Amino acid sequence: MTRPQANRMKRPVDFLLIFLMNLTAPPLILLWTAVGIFLFPALFFILKAATGWNAEQITRRLIWVYGRGWLAIMLPFIRSELIGIKRDKIKPPCIYVANHLSFFDIYCLAVLPSFNVSIAIRSWPFKMYWYAPFMHMAGYIDVENRQWEDIFESAARILSNGGALLFFPEGHRSRSGELQRFYSGAFKLAVETGAKIVPLCIKGTNEVLPPGRWWLSPAKVTIKALEPVDPKSLADSSSHRLIRKTVKNMMRQSLAEMTLDSAGNTDIAGSECSL
Amino acid sequence: MTDREIIELIDKSIAEEFELDEAHMKPEALLFDDLELDSLDIVDLVVVLENAFQFKIREEDSIQEIRTLGDIHRFVINKKKELDKQ
Repeated sequence: MTRPQANRMKRPVDFLLIFLMNLTAPPLILLWTAVGIFLFPALFFILKAATGWNAEQITRRLIWVYGRGWLAIMLPFIRSELIGIKRDKIKPPCIYVANHLSFFDIYCLAVLPSFNVSIAIRSWPFKMYWYAPFMHMAGYIDVENRQWEDIFESAARILSNGGALLFFPEGHRSRSGELQRFYSGAFKLAVETGAKIVPLCIKGTNEVLPPGRWWLSPAKVTIKALEPVDPKSLADSSSHRLIRKTVKNMMRQSLAEMTLDSAGNTDIAGSECSL
Repeated sequence: MTDREIIELIDKSIAEEFELDEAHMKPEALLFDDLELDSLDIVDLVVVLENAFQFKIREEDSIQEIRTLGDIHRFVINKKKELDKQ
């Protein structure tokens, strides 16, 4: 479905681009991360004084800016296409659910129109000590080690304050590129809070940085927001299993269409917009 | 229903619901570690079994002891026999 195009014949210019990307992007990302960590305290207090936002909102805003910086660094090497990412259509409060192909996915989601997003993820990202303090300050939710009641309480508070949640319902990155089984957390939360689900289909990030590979490769990345799913609109609005299956079918179909579009349109210049 | 049919129905229902590979549906498979179910999946698992066999199991104390797929097989087979006797 979204398998990397590893077998495509590479031209000399492709190897040159890979070399340039790996020569420039990782050091710039390291520098950007170090600058971000260094400037965070000062920016935090400036934003606190200027906006009156709470600590979670300020941290989420700064993380969003950091994600935008990542994208700017990658931009010379990534052709991008955004479909349906419109503020009025997918604005919080809502629950974003995205397929997961790469470590790079999380940074791509800086394209979302709102910065006020808390990410619900497994426990291992909280072990990245350079990110962990900011993840805690932003109210990110460890869905692996916390009890459901505790997760629900945090998530409901974020939604009621006008924020959004982001889940990767597959739980981990797909190594085959295919959509994997979906866990139920995001969908159960939608049922219990009444929040809409916004499905996000990501394609191409596994060509940039697939699981298990440590070097970057230029690629086309497409992010498509599907029509939001309101739990109340389904035949059995109390069934998170039904919502899970409905959303997964929508995403499976859309990813298949995106793959077909991509295969039928290899010359994509002019049809893209910037990340 | 024979025990074999019960086991097949359990395996098929669970594999379909959680999109598991039927090759992984072995009696010794641990629900959390091998089949990678989580605590919310266990709630769904109860619903799936209740729908498949048309009896209530959520109030049964012995479901707390279930750790493997084989435990589920034994639990449902025993429960079915119990109900057939009544």
